[in-house]
Amino acid sequence: MKKIIIGENIVKSFRKLNEEHNVLNGVSVEINKGEFVSLMGPSGSGKSTLMFALSGMDVVNSGRVIINGKDLATASENELSDIRRKTMGFVFQQPTMLKNLNILDNIILPSVRDNQKNKTEIVKKAKSIMKRVGITGLEDRDITEVSGGQLQRAGICRALMNNPEIIFGDEPTGSLNSQSSQEMMDLFSEINNNCTAVMLVTHDAKVAARTERILFMRDGEIISECRLPKFEAKDMDDRVEEVMVKMREIGI
Amino acid sequence: MYNRIIRNDMVKSKAVTLTTMIFIAAAAMLVSLAAILAVNLSSALDTMMTKAKTPHFMQMHAGELDTERLQTFAKENSNVEEFQVVEFLNLEGSEITLGENTLAASVQDNGFSTQNKQFDYLLDLDGNIINAADGELYVPISYKQDNLAEVGDRAVIAGKEFIVAGFLRDSQMNSTLSASKRFLVSEGDYKELRSLGYIEYLIEFRLKDPSKIGAFETAYSTKGLNANGPTVTYSLFKMMNGISDGMMIGVILLVSGLVVAISFMCIRFTLLAKMEEDYREIGVMKAIGLRVSDIKKIYIAKYAVIATVGSILGFILSLFLKEKMLENIRLYMGQSDQSANAILLGIIGIILIFFSILIFVNNVLRGFRKISASEAIRFGTSQDRNRKAKRLTLSRNKLWNTNIFLGMKDVLSRKRLYITMLLVLVIASFIIMVPQNLYNTISSKSFIQYMGIGNYDLRIQTTGIDVKDVPKMVDALKLDSDVSSYAVLTTKSFQVKMDDGSEENLKVELGDHSIFPIAYTEGRAPEADNEIALSKINADELGKQVGDILTLVKDGEERSFTMIGIYSDITNGGKTAKAVFTDDDEATVIWTIIPVSLSDHSHVEQVVNEYTDAFPFAKVSDIEEFVTQTLGSIISAVEMGSYASIAIALVITILITSLFMNMLLAKDKYQVAVMKAFGFTNTDIQLQYITRSVFVSIIGIVIGTLLANTIGEKLAGLVISSFGASTFSFTVDPLDSYLFSPLMMIGATLFATVFTTWRTGKINISENIKE
Ligand SMILES: Nc1ncnc2c1ncn2[C@@H]1O[C@H](COP(=O)(O)OP(=O)(O)O)[C@@H](O)[C@H]1O
Ligand SMILES: [Mg+2]
Repeated sequence: MKKIIIGENIVKSFRKLNEEHNVLNGVSVEINKGEFVSLMGPSGSGKSTLMFALSGMDVVNSGRVIINGKDLATASENELSDIRRKTMGFVFQQPTMLKNLNILDNIILPSVRDNQKNKTEIVKKAKSIMKRVGITGLEDRDITEVSGGQLQRAGICRALMNNPEIIFGDEPTGSLNSQSSQEMMDLFSEINNNCTAVMLVTHDAKVAARTERILFMRDGEIISECRLPKFEAKDMDDRVEEVMVKMREIGI
Repeated sequence: MYNRIIRNDMVKSKAVTLTTMIFIAAAAMLVSLAAILAVNLSSALDTMMTKAKTPHFMQMHAGELDTERLQTFAKENSNVEEFQVVEFLNLEGSEITLGENTLAASVQDNGFSTQNKQFDYLLDLDGNIINAADGELYVPISYKQDNLAEVGDRAVIAGKEFIVAGFLRDSQMNSTLSASKRFLVSEGDYKELRSLGYIEYLIEFRLKDPSKIGAFETAYSTKGLNANGPTVTYSLFKMMNGISDGMMIGVILLVSGLVVAISFMCIRFTLLAKMEEDYREIGVMKAIGLRVSDIKKIYIAKYAVIATVGSILGFILSLFLKEKMLENIRLYMGQSDQSANAILLGIIGIILIFFSILIFVNNVLRGFRKISASEAIRFGTSQDRNRKAKRLTLSRNKLWNTNIFLGMKDVLSRKRLYITMLLVLVIASFIIMVPQNLYNTISSKSFIQYMGIGNYDLRIQTTGIDVKDVPKMVDALKLDSDVSSYAVLTTKSFQVKMDDGSEENLKVELGDHSIFPIAYTEGRAPEADNEIALSKINADELGKQVGDILTLVKDGEERSFTMIGIYSDITNGGKTAKAVFTDDDEATVIWTIIPVSLSDHSHVEQVVNEYTDAFPFAKVSDIEEFVTQTLGSIISAVEMGSYASIAIALVITILITSLFMNMLLAKDKYQVAVMKAFGFTNTDIQLQYITRSVFVSIIGIVIGTLLANTIGEKLAGLVISSFGASTFSFTVDPLDSYLFSPLMMIGATLFATVFTTWRTGKINISENIKE
């Protein structure tokens, strides 16, 4: 299986009150092509930090991150930007949108950076993705003129625009109610079915239950991992139960 | 919570706080300086003119003097307090050697006098009346300024040796604008020199009631007394003495106005940016019931502190600088006795600035009231996006590079914020353009048309006495192969009949005015015998307009003329007229001017020398030399000023641009982080910021240029009109104004932006986005 991302012995620390605190204590993790992974753990256990490190947005203190065979330590700022733009998509908990641009512009922003010429095609593609995630018609709205759920979907559209090999979601459903949350997960499943790897951070057992590999973190370490078969709607309750049991087992 | 906001604000915006303070200090310093200088100038001027007992009315006269009639007039006119006739012994510049230097190239009329008995005293540099001993020579102060002489120098005047014993202040002729300069020697020495030059008379009066000078002038001219030469009154002496320092004060005031405007812009930008940044927090405060006025109080308190420190700093600076700035006034006019009042006025000026700042802050803060609590909490941003900018979408943008587009869109959708920066850049380009255009204009060859001088190479001037020798000169000019054309312009004195029947003197220049045409503000040059044109000042004083009828009286005979044109003139006090009729009476000739143009301009120097030798009684000058010496000090002052302005404007541009870009970057951290998260490189983001600042600066330059060519031209015209020139338009050097200056401005903006925004690389994505 082709490995998209390899993290080896990642150590990441932050200075707090003049003292270095290790947030990641030598984490190793691999993500394969087309995988559907979720990352669970208590608040402050380093989930976001790990995700930022794996995506090259944060520089690690020691250890290595390799994306598609490229060691990030040897990549220049511009190469990192290229990787972020072409290899991965990001969905954050809060909708990270530029308030100056309307929904459509926010979605196409990462794509038009390189592709000045084929704007018509880009817009066409954006519209078809918007249709897929169910936010057709919001193109010209300001980001303040749509609901949180719609904004989050727009975020997914933006993440999908450059046909990424992997999509990261840092608690993408965290600010949504359970109805929207499930719809969002349908979307991620669908994306995953099209061979795009997905990695989600979540607190929600119902969200984790939709994925096929669950990593459990505590105090900056991956302490456990469990795998589930491909998702079928009828197994939902069993899967949730399994995740809950596992969570209780390791005490999170 | 208040304290936290303020503390954060102060710590985060150290640079802005400091810059604002610096601008306030600069404004305070300039206003205080202007006030101090103005009070000292007027007081020193008064002191000098009082000590010197400057005449209220002075008539220069060349030719026979009718002393008896003058004495009778002085006795009979009830307003005359004192009367005297002073001799002014004209000597060629080449006869005067001071130390190593000769005055041969001087276009001034250099003359010698003795100390006066009753009034019009020549003063030493301590303000005392000079008593020259035999062998002592006192030299006009302006030659000290030009470094032509030093105390103790040997001087040779028409072969006679003197020692330069000191310098003198001449309340009449101090200014370089005055065409004559007086040297002072002892009575004995004067007697020896007297036969070596030719004598002009200064007929001087002190009046009991100086406010009735108008009536006195009329009385003098109707009596037909000696009047073969310029007439000058007390107020004109005062104006000439004060004008160069007065202009400097004017410029300082203008600059201080601009600096105040810039400090306002800094404050506005900071507050608006703050408001955008703290939008959510202010909304929250409102939501939990805190009062807006409480929030406002904090900011006002903060600016009160900044303004106080700035004002005090500025005041102290002005006290240091005033010494240097007062040097010129002290040199030409002496000490003022109003130093305390001057400082007081400076303080009042600063207090005015202080309060206007607080009022301004208060006004900007009104925007706080508009913040809606619910909007602020829900979106953390204000909703008043610009409608037009909304239509500018990336999806429809086909023309621009994405980064350039984003930069421009940001400017257009946050107009309120960028207008502040725009105004500063408008001011900066205005500051560059106006002095530059003014300098280009007054140093251009065509500027002399505003002086009432046509376009020619040299000018030969003779006084009325030598009128009989003019034909000889004309013959010589006729035969000279170097000469391509010349004109003989004879100035004679006539009486003008006023509407109320009274008569006034009018000097009319007769001859062919079509050979060396000058610029007419209105109408045209006289062509027919019954046409006359007036200089701007004369037209204003006589209340005549183009088309009016003017009646001249000569030997009791009246002649009517149609007023045909108005022209600018800054020669001879600006009071001249032009006509073409013939009048053969040589007795009334005051002076004759023969403008000459050469077939080869490079021969000027040689031709000047030839004619100076051949006709020693005539004053032959290279016109460029004439202009440089008359206007030279002003031209070089304006040139210096224009370089200083460029430097100031560029510093302002760099300072303000980096300040604003820095603040924007701090404010936009989140947005930058988002873009970086989605694969925009640091270079991309830098390009966006560069677009913003260059876009704003281009608009600023365009507006600044337009303003400079309209308002700036008017302002400069005001300055020029004080010399008697009327309509004035800039001679613009397109290369300087439309290429180099804009490039310099854009370069400065670019430099500041690149320099400031390399920091984008330091904006960490995770720190700014991670939840
Ligand atoms: N930029 C940062 N500076 C300092 N400390 C940080 C920073 N980012 C995260 N941390 C600390 O690292 C720990 C893990 O944070 P995070 O990865 O966000 O946890 P999680 O996403 O699992 O809730 C927390 O204690 C947090 O305070
Ligand atoms: Mg987190």
